[in-house]
Amino acid sequence: MADMNDKIAQLENFIMKKCLWQFHSRAWDRKNQNENILRMTGELLCGETVNTDSPTDRCYWVDAAYLADSFREKFDWLASMSNKEIKALFVALKERMDFVTVDGSLNAELTDPRY
Amino acid sequence: MPYHEFDCSKCIPERKKHAVDKGPEDDLTKALPLGYLNTIPGSISERGCAYCGAKHVIGTPMKDVIHISHGPVGCTYDTWQTKRYISDNDNFQLKATFATDVKEKHIVFGAEKLLKQNIIEAFRAYPDIKRMTIYQTCATALIGDDIDAIAQEVMDEMPDVDIFVCNSPGFAGPSQSGGHHKINIAWINNKVGTVEPKITSDYVINYVGEYNIQGDQEVMQDYFRRMGIQILSTFTGNGSYDELRSMHGAHLNVLECARSAEYICNELRVRYGIPRLDIDGFGFEPLSSSLLKIGRFFGIEDRAQKIIDEETARWKPELDWYKERLMGKRVCIWPGGSKLWHWANVIHEEMGVKVVSVYTKFGHQGDMEKGIARCEQGALAIDDPNELESLEAMYKLKPDVIFTGKRPGEVAKKIRVPYLNAHAYHNGPYKGYEGWVRFARDIYNAIYSPIHQLSYLDISRDDIPGDGGFRTQRMISDVNLSQEVRTSKNLREYTGKYDTISPLREKTYPEFNK
Repeated sequence: MADMNDKIAQLENFIMKKCLWQFHSRAWDRKNQNENILRMTGELLCGETVNTDSPTDRCYWVDAAYLADSFREKFDWLASMSNKEIKALFVALKERMDFVTVDGSLNAELTDPRY
Repeated sequence: MPYHEFDCSKCIPERKKHAVDKGPEDDLTKALPLGYLNTIPGSISERGCAYCGAKHVIGTPMKDVIHISHGPVGCTYDTWQTKRYISDNDNFQLKATFATDVKEKHIVFGAEKLLKQNIIEAFRAYPDIKRMTIYQTCATALIGDDIDAIAQEVMDEMPDVDIFVCNSPGFAGPSQSGGHHKINIAWINNKVGTVEPKITSDYVINYVGEYNIQGDQEVMQDYFRRMGIQILSTFTGNGSYDELRSMHGAHLNVLECARSAEYICNELRVRYGIPRLDIDGFGFEPLSSSLLKIGRFFGIEDRAQKIIDEETARWKPELDWYKERLMGKRVCIWPGGSKLWHWANVIHEEMGVKVVSVYTKFGHQGDMEKGIARCEQGALAIDDPNELESLEAMYKLKPDVIFTGKRPGEVAKKIRVPYLNAHAYHNGPYKGYEGWVRFARDIYNAIYSPIHQLSYLDISRDDIPGDGGFRTQRMISDVNLSQEVRTSKNLREYTGKYDTISPLREKTYPEFNK
């Protein structure tokens, strides 16, 4: 578990330093971003085909592709993980991102119903 | 992440929750400064007003438009020419500013007649300009002038003109950010969808939240054109009024300053299904990944990669020359709302400086989340600082340079801290690969200015050394560098030209098959 937490912390730190997509201004929007971009990143790392049919999906995918490339380059421990382990890692990473950016966030604007 | 209480603000206890120190084990769920709240009475804020946020930041960079303020002349004068949002039509929007010059009698008897007279007069004075934006001010909002009705009357009488009305008086929000929101929503409600888009490429973007400061937009436009991408509209730097009416025709919204323009991106996404891609135009790695993402979206990432390879090869040796000389220097990133997060990480990674503080004048908590997430441990993050807090922070943190606006910048100079203009730049543009080197050069020049070194001497108190001779920048900056770095053939100082923008306007671009 400690090993898993350490891996999640490394991935989270990279996202926080390099990405902007996790900080959209509303809670529902952040959850959508976390769900779709991290799911696609996991799929790419597992060598699966990602659905990019709609413009919305393509937009998620370009952020996911950047993450997958960067993760492969920076975290060589990913190469030794099975697809099942990667999927589990990304489920946990998504939970952590939801907590930091939404559920545990102190940003009072997240639940404003208006953009 | 403990809140940070300034000694000077102990008499304003509400201020305590507006600043935090980023500690070693902290994350954003431990503490976050409050943000986007009314400035606390007694705190002399550095903010602007909602009228300024609408007109000066977002409206007036539009280039082919008469921008007129309906109010006293001071409102328009104080939002004129203090930000260098140039344009490729001879800077019409910077050369003239317009106001209805409301006086006491108009407040008593109404100013609608005056407004109509001024609109017609302005169009007659500039017969080539057929578009206008009108900005409500505090005075004319309070007396209830119906600007929309007057604008419609004029459009009925002069069918070749089009007028946009922005009802965002100074008091319509805690800061200029309230005005950003209002003009975003007013534009999409009233103007987007009223002109048919002219599509010339298979790859069409709106470039949003980009204000062409010293040519930033034109630098990025150059990359997009080299990739065969059409910028349908830029919101709003160097942007055209009618192109911005056709924003609904783009395939992708590419968003730079989310603080000032995420609202229109979000609305374009909801109303027209155009996705929003947030990018960073500053710094080699963030810019490269941004271009690659846009390329990937359209299936032309090879074109993006070609630009990345060419530009990196050309400019990286120059960036690294400065990095060697800026390593470990302490900087404060104290801009308005977005540059704290655009710069916080990349300036550390690519220039080697240590970010000791980030602040935002008008940012929301979301901007602080991004800024704190991106800066290193130990940084002090401040929301809506007052002048005394800024001074206290500088005395405590001892920065080598700060990046901020010219009002707090002049305060910094008084205590001998050099500053660079984060809003309008010193020798920009700062976007793009070459621009990032120009920023590094400005930082180098600020920190190692021989003249500035002299300011550390007080002629009424200190002994003035008379035997050392004049010390050049290189003598100061290279003193601790290794021989290998000093004499490196791989590194070089900036070799670009004074004016990098004019040649872009003459440039021709490859034709890509549609």
